[in-house]
Amino acid sequence: MAGRLLPLELVDRCIGSRIWVIMKGDKEVVGTLRGFDEYVNMVLDDVTEYTVTAAGREKNQLDQILLNGNNVCIMVPGGDPEASSSSSSSSS
Amino acid sequence: MTSKPTVLDLEKYIDQEVSVKFQGGREVRGILKGFDPLVNVVLDECVETLRDPNDAYRLTDKTRRLGLVVCRGLQVSLVCPNEGLQEIENPFGQQPQI
Repeated sequence: MAGRLLPLELVDRCIGSRIWVIMKGDKEVVGTLRGFDEYVNMVLDDVTEYTVTAAGREKNQLDQILLNGNNVCIMVPGGDPEASSSSSSSSS
Repeated sequence: MTSKPTVLDLEKYIDQEVSVKFQGGREVRGILKGFDPLVNVVLDECVETLRDPNDAYRLTDKTRRLGLVVCRGLQVSLVCPNEGLQEIENPFGQQPQI
């Protein structure tokens, strides 16, 4: 039996709005989701690409991209890495 | 459609806090809200544990809030409930200092 909130249904509801995609490596992409397929390849508009390194966060602006779903790790509907600041806390 | 029984019974962890680890070393925690047969997972109030910028497999005590997220099943390597989880001493002795 499938879980209550189907993951790809949630992504589907996100079409037309901003989505933050965290890749397997050190890249993160924020853009307006135009569509996706069964592999979760995505078409994104007005994209900002972030590369997180030890030296800091590199920013790259792109108009429209086709993002291969192969290395997609986490998708955050409506999310934005700039708004989600890190905090230091010990895990409970 | 007949549904065949699966060894993947995440249903019992719905609305509980779980840890999810990914290929590549990322690690998040959140409340399990849904999943599918490919282990795509929906987590609410998700928090990612950040890693050492110089070592992708070493976790720090820094976290960042992500909120409601979808984790891609292709990259998920582990899902486990946080309740009842406890860290034990390394049974293989001292690890070499890197």
